[in-house]
Amino acid sequence: MDYLWLKALHVTAVLVWMSGLLAVALGATSAAKVSSSAEGRSALIERTLRWDQRVTLPAMLLAWGAGGTLATLGGWFHSPWLIVKIGIVGLLSALHAILSGTLRRLAYADAASPPSWLVHARLLIVAGVTAIVVLVVVKPF
Amino acid sequence: MSGEQRAEELSLLRRMRAISLIEGTTLLLLVLVAVPLKHVAGLPMATRIMGPIHGLAFLTYVWMLLQLVSGGGWSRAETARLVIAALIPCGTFINERALARRQALLDIAC
Repeated sequence: MDYLWLKALHVTAVLVWMSGLLAVALGATSAAKVSSSAEGRSALIERTLRWDQRVTLPAMLLAWGAGGTLATLGGWFHSPWLIVKIGIVGLLSALHAILSGTLRRLAYADAASPPSWLVHARLLIVAGVTAIVVLVVVKPF
Repeated sequence: MSGEQRAEELSLLRRMRAISLIEGTTLLLLVLVAVPLKHVAGLPMATRIMGPIHGLAFLTYVWMLLQLVSGGGWSRAETARLVIAALIPCGTFINERALARRQALLDIAC
């Protein structure tokens, strides 16, 4: 029963983390397009940054902690699908750090613009989530 | 740089210095205490406890470093030095000194 509660906590944390990550990606790459005024752009970035610090980042830590505990309790650490999943989660975490830093830079410098490759961040996040769901549900190897 | 931005930058540097020291210290504890305890004293529990603690500290350190350099204000050379030092054993102590110098410069500017 504890395992199932922990699993529910992990899935909830992952959902909150991924939705927040998409919001950060949107804020970092599209704030200038979404709002025409500098004040509107700044307000949007600051709200996204606050949400990231107060909700998305704790959700990421919870997802890592609960996920690690689940893998230990379930004896999953020797499964190849989990190793691949951890690699993808690591890349998503790195993307989160880069997006979060970029958003912080945009919040303080009006003329700053995000690195061009970050326009693909949303696609990378969706692809990463899809791969994780397939690995966890299908466990192909 | 505005006062609010400077305060935010200082806070970030303080957190980064703290995690640098934690990462370096947990690595030293793992290598100098836990590993000898496992192989010499026959206590594998030491690495089972210290290993994940250091792993978590390292992941947090790398995450915060990526966030810090993505936030801008660091030259390519500084960024490369921070990232390379993050990946070598005890390199976090080198980074901690670099971060302390940066913090001192910001403190003077306040």
